[in-house]
Amino acid sequence: MSHKELGEPVASLGFPRHTLVSLLIFAAAWEVLSNLAPFLGIPPFAVPSLVRIAKAIGTITPLDVVVTLARVIAALIVSFIAGLALAMAMYRSDPLDKYLSPIIRVFVAVPVVSWILFAVLWFPGVEFRIGFVLVVVCGPVFLIDTLDAMRSVPRELRHMMRSFRPTTLQFFIKLMMPAIIPTIFTSWKVNISLAIRVVTIAELVGAVTGIGAQLSNAQQLFSVADVFAWTIVLVALLFLLEAIVSRVEHRLLRWRA
Amino acid sequence: MTTRSPGGPPPIEVRGVRKVFRQTTTGQSVVAIDRLDLTIAPREVVAIVGQTGCGKSTFFDLMIGLEAPSEGTLRIGDKSPHADFDYFRGKIATVFQQDRLLPWRSALDNAKLPLELIGLSEEEQRERALTWLNRLGLGAFINAYPHELSGGMRQRVAIARAFSVQPDIMLADEAFGHLDEVTAQELRDTFLALARESGSTAILITHQLEEAIGVGDRIIVFGKSAKLLADIHVAQWDKSQYGLLREAIQATLQSNSPDPRLAQS
Repeated sequence: MSHKELGEPVASLGFPRHTLVSLLIFAAAWEVLSNLAPFLGIPPFAVPSLVRIAKAIGTITPLDVVVTLARVIAALIVSFIAGLALAMAMYRSDPLDKYLSPIIRVFVAVPVVSWILFAVLWFPGVEFRIGFVLVVVCGPVFLIDTLDAMRSVPRELRHMMRSFRPTTLQFFIKLMMPAIIPTIFTSWKVNISLAIRVVTIAELVGAVTGIGAQLSNAQQLFSVADVFAWTIVLVALLFLLEAIVSRVEHRLLRWRA
Repeated sequence: MTTRSPGGPPPIEVRGVRKVFRQTTTGQSVVAIDRLDLTIAPREVVAIVGQTGCGKSTFFDLMIGLEAPSEGTLRIGDKSPHADFDYFRGKIATVFQQDRLLPWRSALDNAKLPLELIGLSEEEQRERALTWLNRLGLGAFINAYPHELSGGMRQRVAIARAFSVQPDIMLADEAFGHLDEVTAQELRDTFLALARESGSTAILITHQLEEAIGVGDRIIVFGKSAKLLADIHVAQWDKSQYGLLREAIQATLQSNSPDPRLAQS
């Protein structure tokens, strides 16, 4: 549901007014805390002022942002294609479904950190390690969501479609794909958030470029302002990607009441 | 391009058809259709009546080819709708109880669906779908999505979708039962007129005896497991006897055995 539907006033910059107000209140509280830090026994570097954070944002290197973004997008595309293909195969084949489902469940249960350690131990290339971790984490989410969506297509619609005798390809293209698109968009939004968080952790281990690597550098330099700056970039990146997906979703799903 | 069989719709021959389902939970066998024999001539309009669970819908699934008979043969012309599944693409169309329109498609795109499946050019699809939507009075609503249309309008789109392929055989599975009586009557008349005009063989499943008597050249009464209780040629009954006919069919359904008054058919 959009903010307009919720009746929430929208500020001129496109931000819902309530969001803008809460962000301003948070920023003001942060600034007060930053100024009071020495009196509260908190080291000054731990709570940097908004000015210092703003300065740190000014030093953000676009290359690292682009590299992280490229890793996320590439991994999401690979995960989506692999998840969709496997979901279609599992939907069509009961034996495949029965044999693969337990493995998928295990994949989902494995902690991200374990995948990162496996990647470090198994693969020498940094890019492959990061890609591997992202795909094994995001792929199963796409697969499970897509498979569930396919199984949720109303029996009546499947029956109607079959009565017109489509080929297998037509059945998927004309019925299943459009029917699962709303779920696919939801899955993309979930996975974007997941991928942004996972890529950062994966980049912490061994990468020399990317937001995760820069966060690691900032941590080694005890530069909390830089950590904040890169974190703000990450969050902005997440919002940007989600906004793009939402825009495409809105366009493609205009048929929804 | 048309998918219609040269020489018009072929006859439908049902010989000793039995359909048994095995229940997945209990493993028990359920006989949905037990040794059905039936012949339906080309261009006939046949109404099938029977109580809920008598095997009418299973019979339709056999006709559509989604199920194969457990025993016996069901042939349309010299082909089986199940074994020769692809051959019947565009030759059999169904109007269902609920409209079963695809919610993400406009009325026009819904009507085009079966035409896309038989591989018509985009131009032909549009032209033919528009023709049928216009004939069903939906010319002003071609871009409307299903949720923007009334129940009657949605069912009109479903009828346009089914007729757009100019099928040999048109099936209607309680297609008008969920509509208000005025709309149902109107759509029933439209459906019948279009079926007769297009020269399709039409088979309708209905719960309503008035509908069966008013629409069908023949009324087939199914008992339990699609046992053929009566095969009534409506033309043999004078209109003044329709009340009697209705009572006799009602009695047949209730007793699960042919009423003697139906002997004249």
